[in-house]
Amino acid sequence: MSETSVLDAPVAVRRRWLSPEMAPVLGVFVCTVLLMISIRFVSPGAVLLAQVSSILVSAIFLAVASFGQGLTILLGGIDLSIGVVMGLGGMMISGLTNGTNDALIWALPATLAFCAGIGLVNGIGIALGGIPPFIMTLASATSFFGLGLGFTGGAAQAPVAPALETLMSARALGVPWPIWLLVGFAVIAIAFQNGSVTGRKLYALGSSPGAARVLGLPAAALTITAYTLSGLCAGIAGLLIAGYSSAATLNMGNPFLLPTIAAVVIGGARVTGGRGIYLGTFAGALFLSTLETMITVLSLSQGLRDLIQGAIIIFALIAQNSRAGRNPT
Amino acid sequence: MASPSISAGFRRALSGGPTVVAVLLFVLMFGIYAERTSAATTVFGITNLLNDAIVLAIAAAGVTLVVLTGEFDLSGVGVIAITNCVVATISTAGSYGWLSSLAVVLAIGAGVGLINGLLVAGLGLQSLAVTIGTMICCEGAALLILSAPGGEVADAITNGLTGDLFNVVPVAAVILAGLCAVWLVFKRTRLGIAIFAIGADASAARLSGVNERRTRLAAFLIAGLCYAAAGYMLSAQTGTGDPRANDSLLLFMYASVAIGGTSLMGGRGGVVGSIVGAGILTVMQKMLFALGVAEFYTDVFNGVIMIVALLIGNVSAALAQQMRRRAA
Repeated sequence: MSETSVLDAPVAVRRRWLSPEMAPVLGVFVCTVLLMISIRFVSPGAVLLAQVSSILVSAIFLAVASFGQGLTILLGGIDLSIGVVMGLGGMMISGLTNGTNDALIWALPATLAFCAGIGLVNGIGIALGGIPPFIMTLASATSFFGLGLGFTGGAAQAPVAPALETLMSARALGVPWPIWLLVGFAVIAIAFQNGSVTGRKLYALGSSPGAARVLGLPAAALTITAYTLSGLCAGIAGLLIAGYSSAATLNMGNPFLLPTIAAVVIGGARVTGGRGIYLGTFAGALFLSTLETMITVLSLSQGLRDLIQGAIIIFALIAQNSRAGRNPT
Repeated sequence: MASPSISAGFRRALSGGPTVVAVLLFVLMFGIYAERTSAATTVFGITNLLNDAIVLAIAAAGVTLVVLTGEFDLSGVGVIAITNCVVATISTAGSYGWLSSLAVVLAIGAGVGLINGLLVAGLGLQSLAVTIGTMICCEGAALLILSAPGGEVADAITNGLTGDLFNVVPVAAVILAGLCAVWLVFKRTRLGIAIFAIGADASAARLSGVNERRTRLAAFLIAGLCYAAAGYMLSAQTGTGDPRANDSLLLFMYASVAIGGTSLMGGRGGVVGSIVGAGILTVMQKMLFALGVAEFYTDVFNGVIMIVALLIGNVSAALAQQMRRRAA
């Protein structure tokens, strides 16, 4: 009998170590799968595998952009510039490449550097200027959107580089390239957030800024890093959408802004910072993309979509709160 | 040797940094606007200016209450969108449509405020995330009421709220003066003091017997009513309904609060400042328009002025603190 208890002990420890972060993630994954299956009942003609594949392809934009949002929320902040940065990234790459692949070699890094630069400005304003994150990012988004509108008139005149379009439509080993990219991005994101030293420092800073400062963590540098990465991810997402839809508009990123917040919150991250893993955000992004497909299949109106999305955020917050127990503050 | 009274006055001017800077900015921008636009200083011009400012001013007053308690509320744009659509849909029904639609929109505003308050104060959820959720829900509901811009607002509303009393006093000025008066009384009431107290130091306020939950709930509720009133005023201005609220309105609401000298950390500031802030932002739009600046570059200005206003506020607060330390 004593042997079983010895054997049980490490399992129990492991389960406790896993459950607080993984339980909501598994829940969201299960909901996603159920939702995917239920689409079949709504539109019997759809082929499940093709449906799943198209959902995964469309999930990449949200999954990539939400990673950056997740990092800022991990620090107790928020990035409301993501939608505008996505639009600017897409506009810039199509403007610079002008429909040819030749310019891609310098246009790609230039675009990403510009998007990361917007994040850098946000981070500096928040970390050094002491401006509340949502106002800083909202204000910079307004300013940069104005600049973008001034320079381009709202829609790109030039087509996107064909290589980007190919990237978003071609297949490798029978699987669409975007799905490979999605998996690759998830692996890198998890390795950074939950495996790297910087990632662990971000958790420390997010869960207790005061303690992190006492420990000598570079709070300002870490904050700037998080917002810069958020800008970079939004830029990458913008490039991918530009390739996917083969034409960029300045507004094309805006519908993704609020879902990035929803994805992070659904994934179990605490909005006050310090808790949440990328796998959760990833699950949230998949869930929202599946829901989007479902809504499209049911052809619901935009008003109902908004209502559902807002309700999901609030319910996820309530669910998270009841899991964590009543907060005394 | 500087006399103590001068240095004290200097310190006070600095610690009230945003407000002093705000008034100077207002005078400068109004000067440019008035110099470029001949009608600016006539009754018509002033009425026009106040009408443009009042929606923002009332909405910013609501935001101020919530910000004073140390929370954020983004649901305002959503409430304004819903109320605008409701007024454009039902206000033309019957001769008392203006009154019944006012009652309905106030009920909607109170309802949304109550939901925010219950989720934030009752369940202890983070206000920013909760009100993003309610904001999206409200915008969705607005789209369900009115799927495209349209509808009609009763003449009683458009004529009654945008004109002048006896051809000299703009109605908007009367409403704004009333709002300031209500605020000056309100901030000395039990609830008003409690709002400042929990924003400055929630645990100290709790220990001295302030009911924190009820106070936060009340702040969100009153804010909801303000947004509804702002939406009603917006309907009076435009005479029609638009389910998509102005994109920059959210930023402007917080910009008014920040320029008006209310601390975004809570506990310091007031509604009068926010109304001045709303006036400044409106004059800024007028000035940029009068100068012939293209519309998209006004967006750039709007973002930049927000950041600059907050930076000035932070720097002057830090300076004041440093001087206080040196004086001690």
